[in-house]
Amino acid sequence: NSELFTLTYGALVTQLCKDYENDDDVNKQLDKMGYNIGVRLIEDFLARSNVGRCHDFRETADVIAKIAFKMYLGITPSITNWSPGGDEFSLILENNPLVDFVELPDNHSTLIYSNLLCGVLRGALEMVQMAVDVKFVQDTLKGDSVTEIRMKFIRRIEDNLPAGEE
Amino acid sequence: TVHTSLDVVDEKISAMGKALVDQRELYLGLLYPTEDYKVYGYVTNSKVKFVMVVDSSNTALRDNEIRSMFRKLHNSYTDIMCNPFYNPGDRIHSRAFDTMVNSMMMQVC
Repeated sequence: NSELFTLTYGALVTQLCKDYENDDDVNKQLDKMGYNIGVRLIEDFLARSNVGRCHDFRETADVIAKIAFKMYLGITPSITNWSPGGDEFSLILENNPLVDFVELPDNHSTLIYSNLLCGVLRGALEMVQMAVDVKFVQDTLKGDSVTEIRMKFIRRIEDNLPAGEE
Repeated sequence: TVHTSLDVVDEKISAMGKALVDQRELYLGLLYPTEDYKVYGYVTNSKVKFVMVVDSSNTALRDNEIRSMFRKLHNSYTDIMCNPFYNPGDRIHSRAFDTMVNSMMMQVC
């Protein structure tokens, strides 16, 4: 039963909207919070899922969609739209438990409601030495038929600096 | 008309007293017939009141249809309550709610 989770996330987002006056700041905060969750969540994930090191970005995509999303959100997004170089792909979510019952009011049309997810993915992958860029390109809250997250591999992180908290 | 019927709703609620409240008793039935309209009431456990005003010329509308309309309204209302952007007491601006109400009204007109 994920209603408490959905309602908690909703309360978080609306509180941020009250605290920061514009959507852009809220989006940044959500990303930051997500990042802080991601750098910690990855340890739990690796311990519970027992997956080994991924050999390429395609494997990473599979693990994220089929294991991680399933484990933490109970959904399995599909992987599509691979770039020719194999460094970018899309996750398509038919439904997103974070947004159950949510309707974006007109005065928050630029809010990226689920932006926390982008931060989580970015933070988690950084801890396994991958720098990625994650962003929403479609959102059911904005009228699109599906929610689409675009993930782009930037580079491998060679120097193991301790994870900075942003 | 709606304000008078709200008084009737309050009367009926206080008459119910400590009766066990279940689905059937949430529905208050025909509150108050006038020349032009029939007014039906429904109250939730949280004292949220739904009032439906129906044109008297619509005699085809049966009691169980009204009940099911109130049930749908109640379900949509709880969905709206779950929207974190909705503040209880505000005017309802939900697209989903409007769509549901419109389709319901089209069925009976």
